[in-house]
Amino acid sequence: MKNKTLLAAALFLFAAVLPLIVTEFWVHVLTEILILGLFAASFNMIFGYMGQLSFGHAAYYGVGAYTTGLLMVKANVPLLVCLPLSMLSAGLCAAVLGYFCVKLRGIYFAILTMAFGQLVYYIIFQWYSFTGGDNGLQGIVPPEFLGKAANPYYFFTLIVVAIGMTALWIISESPFGYTMRAIRDNAERTEFIGINVQRYMHLNFIIAAVFAGLAGALWGPFNRSVAPDLTNWQHSGMPVFMTVMGGPFSFLGPLVGSTIYTLLMAFVTSFTEYWPLVSGVIIILVVLLMPGGFLGLLNEKFPFLMQKLSGAKETDEQGRQEP
Amino acid sequence: MDITSLFAQFLSGLTYGTILFLVAAGLSLIFGVMNILNFAHAALWLMGAYFSYTFWNWMQGNSFSFWLSIPLAGVAAAAVGWVIEVVLIKRIYKRELYEQLLITYSIALIISDTIKLTWGVTNKLIVRPEIIQKPVFIFGAPLDSYFLVVIAAGAAVAAGLWWFLKYTRYGHIVKAAVFSREMVGALGIPIPRIYTWVFTLGIFLAGFAGGIQAPIGSITLGMDTAIIIQAFCVVVIGGFGSLLGTLVGSLIVGEVLSFTILFWPDGAMVLIFIITALILIVRPWGLFGTPMRI
Amino acid sequence: MNDADATLLEISGLSKSFGKYSVLADVNYRLRKGEIAAIIGPNGAGKTTFFNLITGYHRVDSGTVRFQGRDITNWPRHRIARAGISRAFQVSNIYPRLTTYENVRQAILAQEKKTLDIITRAGGLAKQDTLELLKLTGLLSNRDTVAGILSQGDKKKLELALALAGKPEMLLLDEPTAGMSSEETHETMEMVKRLNAQIGLTILFTEHDISVIFGYARKLSVLYQGTLIAEGTPEEVRKNEEAQRCYLGEEV
Repeated sequence: MKNKTLLAAALFLFAAVLPLIVTEFWVHVLTEILILGLFAASFNMIFGYMGQLSFGHAAYYGVGAYTTGLLMVKANVPLLVCLPLSMLSAGLCAAVLGYFCVKLRGIYFAILTMAFGQLVYYIIFQWYSFTGGDNGLQGIVPPEFLGKAANPYYFFTLIVVAIGMTALWIISESPFGYTMRAIRDNAERTEFIGINVQRYMHLNFIIAAVFAGLAGALWGPFNRSVAPDLTNWQHSGMPVFMTVMGGPFSFLGPLVGSTIYTLLMAFVTSFTEYWPLVSGVIIILVVLLMPGGFLGLLNEKFPFLMQKLSGAKETDEQGRQEP
Repeated sequence: MDITSLFAQFLSGLTYGTILFLVAAGLSLIFGVMNILNFAHAALWLMGAYFSYTFWNWMQGNSFSFWLSIPLAGVAAAAVGWVIEVVLIKRIYKRELYEQLLITYSIALIISDTIKLTWGVTNKLIVRPEIIQKPVFIFGAPLDSYFLVVIAAGAAVAAGLWWFLKYTRYGHIVKAAVFSREMVGALGIPIPRIYTWVFTLGIFLAGFAGGIQAPIGSITLGMDTAIIIQAFCVVVIGGFGSLLGTLVGSLIVGEVLSFTILFWPDGAMVLIFIITALILIVRPWGLFGTPMRI
Repeated sequence: MNDADATLLEISGLSKSFGKYSVLADVNYRLRKGEIAAIIGPNGAGKTTFFNLITGYHRVDSGTVRFQGRDITNWPRHRIARAGISRAFQVSNIYPRLTTYENVRQAILAQEKKTLDIITRAGGLAKQDTLELLKLTGLLSNRDTVAGILSQGDKKKLELALALAGKPEMLLLDEPTAGMSSEETHETMEMVKRLNAQIGLTILFTEHDISVIFGYARKLSVLYQGTLIAEGTPEEVRKNEEAQRCYLGEEV
């Protein structure tokens, strides 16, 4: 256990000193990595831990982004107040939509989440008077105390994301988190040990949406604007990519995936406009050749390293762990 | 709103519904038989539209260039589809849902950019033959005469598929496979070969639909992203794997869009998604799909 | 209301069909608290369906299931489990990707109603209870093995442990000793018998192993093609001609 805390602290410190050694452009990239990493980690609560594929998670990300954007632009609400309000609105949205989604499983769950995602997209897109329609909302600026440079907002994001990830970690290691794993492993059995699986899935769905909303809230001031695109199905595909790239079914996988994906995108788009082509090929290669994602690959090649880092006990061939 | 205008709306919805049917038919078939949701379906449809433009362009001297380019688009798309199936889809038959979705989604991305690379970003316009340049009037309502072609094509495809499924041996195999893959395999019929043919047929339909779409307005990049979601809605509403379901679903979507625009223009797509969500909640296998345990 | 003769489970007119195929037809059954009862019948007689209907796995077509005086017919599964009925499945229905320890702990945490806790570290919870239950069911040495690779017999033990974790009033065991060696069978059934004696746990099980039936069941019912054709002590049933004809005649 201690190992994991040390690892987390080391990562945090590493992330904190990076702005001192990279240019402003890369600080922007790093901020994006953090925000999308939180977004992907929230998605993973539904995917990796609960075992369902949500293809509409961007809806809650977008709702969070718009809540903050609208409050800041139209009512001058301070960012620190907007963050929890974004979480609340995303959570409420998920409370309503998630109620229906958790009645389904597998591909039907995926399609319904996608349909709801598109529903949210079109509502935002068409409600011109309120949301600005396809023009989006412009002029969302970080608060005074953070100024206009890249670094302060980066540190702010780092702190918020660190808190968010810590919260998600605590939840995933709690009895509730283990119940999610149980539901993923055998939802039927979980009913028979007395758990109302649908209700629990609903709660998890809401929790995941809340943190997606938080990530979205951070995006607005970072990007200086929000657009309906934030909620479309292509955006919903992003956390799926990232989680699979980084390592599905591990806590840090989404963050690792966000790092790889965002860095790759920044790199590739600097010399070609055909990022969709490149990313498509990469995803196919990852899915076919690296089913455990990047972390899975590390685990294969350097099992001792991974175990030391995660503090896990040695596992011999028969799956027995040494005491 | 008088009868003529309403009828015009109806025809408009019928036409759009037919386009949707042509796109969704292949999608439904592929999912029904192979249990794979082909995210790349609309991208291949768009590729078909571009193919038909190219064929029409190449055959400029030929008076049938316009008409020939349509089925040729289907064939070209089918060739691409065949390659995709053999190289990629084959590897993911038994994979998890998320892996299959990511693969087909990635194929969509690759196809989209391939279209951009091959045909560039300018819109493509196909010039119609004289015979279909002027509108026709049906009960006083004006209708783009090409739309008659569209509706006829849709009816022909529907009838062809129906005949195929009902009267040919391969059609019976496909119908059986929708119902139970295991049984068909157990009867000694090679499943992988069926999958290749079904996928290729599905993509032929997509390409053909693209060819049909091409003369309507112009061909532009990005048309596929809107259509794919609508095609999903059609297949959900109608029921995966059901020809009748796809037909009914596409007409429903077409007409709902057409009429909603009259009194709630902003809400047309919203309504479609509400209907889709309702179907998923109340009857996930769609109006005509086979009920299965969720 | 702790009268040992009190009826715990009362089933009347229970019927279930799947499509045109009638699996259970108008079954009446009664179980007293503290009983150890068994149901036997050839494969396809409806034993598992019987259990399925009691535990909410399927909806009943008609009839009622009353437990502790309450009508629990068609209640949702988790509610029936909370009402005090636990079930061990015929085909091990465990958590294959969790360790044996985590499997049992999960069931215990569920019983203790701690599963909505999103703050406490699960790793430190329910240690005592989990270890005790593992010891009781003979799984202690396998505690850190990933459950999916346990032997058949061990999976059955885990199945039992999961059912017991719910601290049930009544335990339904579907072929509890299938796949076990005779030693394991003896261990398991002795443990079940002890629980029955010590805490009054009511047991209803199905079995194909005749020695287990005669060794442990105090009440035996014979299910044949969806109806109960004989009931009584095992000795009485053994002498019952109809039972002999239907059941033993069917068995090769």
